[in-house]
Amino acid sequence: MAKSLGIFVTTKESLPHVLGITKAAKAKGSSVKVFFTWIATHASKDPLFPELCELADDVSICVDSYRKQGYDMNDIPIGLTAKKMATQAQHGIIIEDFDCYLSL
Amino acid sequence: MKILNVYRSEPDETTKKLIEIVTRDREKDDFFLNVDNPDYDLLVEKIFAADQTISWW
Amino acid sequence: MSFKKVCFMYRHKDYAVDGIRSALGLAVENMYSYGVVMDNELASLDENTQESIEMLRDMEGEIFSTIPANVENLGLASITLEELGEKLREMTHVIPYGLK
Repeated sequence: MAKSLGIFVTTKESLPHVLGITKAAKAKGSSVKVFFTWIATHASKDPLFPELCELADDVSICVDSYRKQGYDMNDIPIGLTAKKMATQAQHGIIIEDFDCYLSL
Repeated sequence: MKILNVYRSEPDETTKKLIEIVTRDREKDDFFLNVDNPDYDLLVEKIFAADQTISWW
Repeated sequence: MSFKKVCFMYRHKDYAVDGIRSALGLAVENMYSYGVVMDNELASLDENTQESIEMLRDMEGEIFSTIPANVENLGLASITLEELGEKLREMTHVIPYGLK
């Protein structure tokens, strides 16, 4: 069985890499969870973001970061639900529960 | 212990120094993300094969 | 049960404060969590960030800096690049945070 992969995203520039890596990992049968924090929450407005949400098993963003980057927390990015507007605990889950870890 | 170093940009002296210490007496592998069309399939294989992946700035 | 040991490194001013908050976020999840401010002298730390650092210390974490001015002016713990490298060897997760 393929290993699971958790990706912690801290840079908005990394979104194409996150998408490419998620595609490759899913093709190998891996479970992929992605969490965006701080400036990287801008990536949630990128046209590639909904595609990532479709592909990955779980995508969430830090709602506090999103708010601090100037967005309304009720303006939920396409591809996410209110439950996925989350906290740093998601990063903890990636570290504790996933076989492999990548920060981008 | 196998360390995979992923480079998001060209490593400078600081990054090189840290890598030198972290990988001392350990098995290591590299992957450069700062290229046109990175081979993501290969990267995922390397991540799965490593004990720890560090994605440097 | 073995606890995770995580070290964040911040080389860009725009990422340091939130990176410290991320370090605290893992400490509250029962991990040994550390942060290192590198390359830049930070002018000051707001009250929330100072509180985050205090809470992190209460949970056996620490925020270090390789920059002497940050140690003197902000009370961050001192670490050299060589000491940081050795510390990273003990970590289960190493996180070069943000951009450089």
